[in-house]
Amino acid sequence: MHIPDGFLSTPVWACAGVASVPGVAYFARKSRTALEDGQVPLMGVMGAFVFAAQMINFPVGVGTSGHLVGGALLAITLGPAAACVVMTAILTVQALLFQDGGVLALGANVFNMAIAGVVAGYLPYRYWGATRHRRLAIFCGGFLSVFVSACLAMSQLLLSGVPMPPAVAMLSLALFAVSAAMEGGITLAVAGALERLNPRWVQGSEKDARAGVGFILVTALLLASAGALLASALPDGLEHFAENVGIAGQAKAFLASPFADYEARFLQVEWLRKAVAGILGLGVVYAACLGLGKIAARRSGAARSV
Amino acid sequence: MHYLVLERWSRGDSSFHRLDARVKIAALLLYLVAIATTHPFRWSAFAAFALLVLSGVIAARLPLGGMLLRAAAVLPFTATFAAISALAGDTDAAFRLLARSYASALGVLLLAASTTMPALLHAASSLGFPRILVLVLQFLYRYLFVVTDQAQRMRSAALCRGSALRRGAKRERFRAASGVLAVLFARSYEKAQGIERAMLARGFDGRIHLLSSPRLAWRDAAFLGLAASATLGLRFLLTISA
Repeated sequence: MHIPDGFLSTPVWACAGVASVPGVAYFARKSRTALEDGQVPLMGVMGAFVFAAQMINFPVGVGTSGHLVGGALLAITLGPAAACVVMTAILTVQALLFQDGGVLALGANVFNMAIAGVVAGYLPYRYWGATRHRRLAIFCGGFLSVFVSACLAMSQLLLSGVPMPPAVAMLSLALFAVSAAMEGGITLAVAGALERLNPRWVQGSEKDARAGVGFILVTALLLASAGALLASALPDGLEHFAENVGIAGQAKAFLASPFADYEARFLQVEWLRKAVAGILGLGVVYAACLGLGKIAARRSGAARSV
Repeated sequence: MHYLVLERWSRGDSSFHRLDARVKIAALLLYLVAIATTHPFRWSAFAAFALLVLSGVIAARLPLGGMLLRAAAVLPFTATFAAISALAGDTDAAFRLLARSYASALGVLLLAASTTMPALLHAASSLGFPRILVLVLQFLYRYLFVVTDQAQRMRSAALCRGSALRRGAKRERFRAASGVLAVLFARSYEKAQGIERAMLARGFDGRIHLLSSPRLAWRDAAFLGLAASATLGLRFLLTISA
């Protein structure tokens, strides 16, 4: 989903730009060895390949067809750093020549698709590419790359105040899941065909002992992107939940005292309040993942010592 | 094909085309920021910004109708969200989305239709884009049409063999499509290796050397001053009058 100009509010596109410039700079620096290895023509031609791949239709569902988006496929063939640079180049050309995505919104689009999408598409392959779940890992990579970037784009739109009833947001979440599954299937099929042609085209991945870390990272990414979408679509959801469960009274008394003054002063600003809520939500998710990871690590440690 | 039109437009010869690309990029960014930060964005704002960009289109002697149509490429996406907003009862937001995205697309199109891709990329690299990104963009743009034509030929070949006739066997068609993509990948890969060897043979050292590098002239500065004062002036007038 390419966000055009005119959709994002100034804080959102500015923040996304600020986030994606160092991100792309980091990946460009990491892929600098490609300059010496003569990989640059390959990266450019692979970008053109991803463009052209949109013309090949895959039959999916009843009478509908989909096409390759390509973030995960690039990540497992070129490696994540080069894939990020190639995706950034693709998004730039799309914004300039095809009016597909805006120029001010380029920061947001690069963040969603070239950074978060590529990293999400590579993580499963990085951790399970060499195990017997290899095919599942490639499928999950394709799924995650599309799902994470679509959720991020949607939550940026919601944060910017694009009006959308919660029902539509929920429906779009379901649609994202469907198109993400399509991308997963297409990525898996194309990667399989590529390996039959020439196994060296797909990046090797060593067996990584820290599969648990990968699991935590993938879960965190999934929760963070879907959670951000849910949180921005239903800002009152948590409160509603709390009231239903009956902890609202106590929580209010606990929360009201330190936050009361802030609420009156700067939390009046709508986008700021939403952003703070989102960041707090991310923090909670992060802490939960950390706790789960600790428990999982202890378990596997205990199993090993037995 | 429609992308060739932009390529032809960008090779036109007007004083607007001859402006330094860096100055045009800066003016575009100012214009986009002005659109994004003008509140409220009503008919008057849309008309003012559209007139501003259309005067640029006329100065560049670009076809007016063609430009207006090309910029409409942004509308399908926008119209979906505008319809949702309108159904949710917020027609103001629906208009804002349509007007802002269309006016912004016109501005981007003016830059792309009046500047050649090599000039744009050179400007991007002197404005601080990472070198590897600029190089990848150069190769991507150069081989975009080559690989797309290849894909087109493969698609027609598949259609000739009756790929569209068999509505039934979805599994096989899915596998066939993935095979087509893998072969396209393989051909692109081989092409890239050939390009690399050819460029190494011609002494490519990871840099593109230009015969002449553009210098900022007085008219570039004058254009930037004019564009900046016009966009910022509009933005403040529209905000104050609201």
